[in-house]
Amino acid sequence: MTDVELPETPLLDELEKGPWPSFVKEIKRAAIEQEKAMKAGKKIKLPGAAKGLLKVLELAYKEKRTHWKHGGIVAVVGYGGGVIGRYCDLEDKVPEVWHFHTMRINMPSGWFYQTKALRAICDAWEKWGSGLTNFHGSTGDIILLGTRTEYLQPMANALAYLDKLYGSPAPFDIGGSGSDLRTPSACMGPALCEFACYDTLKACYEFTMRYQNELHRPMWPYKFKIKCSGCPNDCVAAKARSDFAIIGTWKDEIQIDQEAVKEYAKVIDIEKQVVKKCPTGAMSWDGKELKIDNRECIRCMHCINVMPKALKPGKERGATILIGGKAPFVDGAIIGWVAIPFIPENELIEKCCEVLEAIWEWWDEEGKFRERVGELIWRKGMDEFLKVINQKADVRMVYAPRNNPFIFWRELNQ
Amino acid sequence: MTEEVNKEELKQKVLEYLAKKPWQVRDLAKVLRVKKRELDKIVQELINEGKAAYWSSGSTTYVTTKDKLEEMEKKRSGT
Repeated sequence: MTDVELPETPLLDELEKGPWPSFVKEIKRAAIEQEKAMKAGKKIKLPGAAKGLLKVLELAYKEKRTHWKHGGIVAVVGYGGGVIGRYCDLEDKVPEVWHFHTMRINMPSGWFYQTKALRAICDAWEKWGSGLTNFHGSTGDIILLGTRTEYLQPMANALAYLDKLYGSPAPFDIGGSGSDLRTPSACMGPALCEFACYDTLKACYEFTMRYQNELHRPMWPYKFKIKCSGCPNDCVAAKARSDFAIIGTWKDEIQIDQEAVKEYAKVIDIEKQVVKKCPTGAMSWDGKELKIDNRECIRCMHCINVMPKALKPGKERGATILIGGKAPFVDGAIIGWVAIPFIPENELIEKCCEVLEAIWEWWDEEGKFRERVGELIWRKGMDEFLKVINQKADVRMVYAPRNNPFIFWRELNQ
Repeated sequence: MTEEVNKEELKQKVLEYLAKKPWQVRDLAKVLRVKKRELDKIVQELINEGKAAYWSSGSTTYVTTKDKLEEMEKKRSGT
């Protein structure tokens, strides 16, 4: 038991009762931790922020309306993004969360951290902010929830010197927001996954470093997202959630280890669980040998996912570029469509940069206010877009390569 | 030399517009009849000089003067 007094929140308490992880429980824990830290004499700039948040949330549920005002200040010195202004309209009742700005922090490629780095970020945020975080936002950034305007700059400074001030292995930088290049993200790629057809981590890092100006200085019609997936499993949902999706693929044949297939045959029904589920019927299995008609393969990855020890992506690897994907909350989701069918792995980063810069120049010139690049292509036509990126029309440039990027094969079988 | 004078004049004009309300650079470029790229550079210089600043509606970024930004922030935060 704790002697920390929490506000009465009967409605929020309901959200703790389900079998799911509860954000309410975590905010309450943060409130208790904050109070303990204060008592221990830690220098905390926003004491009571978590408690205040509980009060505002409870009131919002009770009154069925929000008390947040969105927008306003967006920057620390030299930056035009990465801070999302939020104010609460209950400054007299809950002054603890009157200012509750969000900071987006550029995550490392593939979201690999040392625990030291995470501790350092949390220590800095405990001092300069509410201590509440969200790992991670939908673009992939670390989200630091809630601070006051006057603490934005000190927190940004703390992140820039996180190695020296808090013992982090490396400093951190602010991510993107508003009409700029959003923080590029990548799946964990070759670091942990044998299906990776290119080095997603390197590509993501290169884009982030090369386009710092585009990331921190919002000058475009609207946001632009780059996501790097190492294979068609598309673990970062690049085709659905990014304007520029780089999805690893291969040009030659799926590598088959027939001996390993036979081993799988002892534990799974290859005919039923693999061959019959091939969406293009490109496979056959006679009990001894698995055959794949690679011309028919649409890279659904099902067979490779079921038998990873027996099947591997081909040897001639690279990536497909899909353009125009977006996933807004309310309306108008678009799945990206193929712009460049294949770029070999060794040419990938340079070619992507060349294409990206051409797209940005065109979109910046032609795009309307709040028009994503996919919508501009709809308005202007694919023909014009292909001229911009200097590509000839190709039968592989299929619109919406999959209607549903997350096909669940078990359900299809029922 | 003339180019420099013109640039300074344009900078001044841009500041005057930014002082009235937050602008999207593309819209201001149309009003001032200059290329957006050119205006991007000027706005960037003004930001670096501390005369202009970014402001967000929540999802879209605008540019305004430092004074206007402070005025709007005060209004928004309710002070």
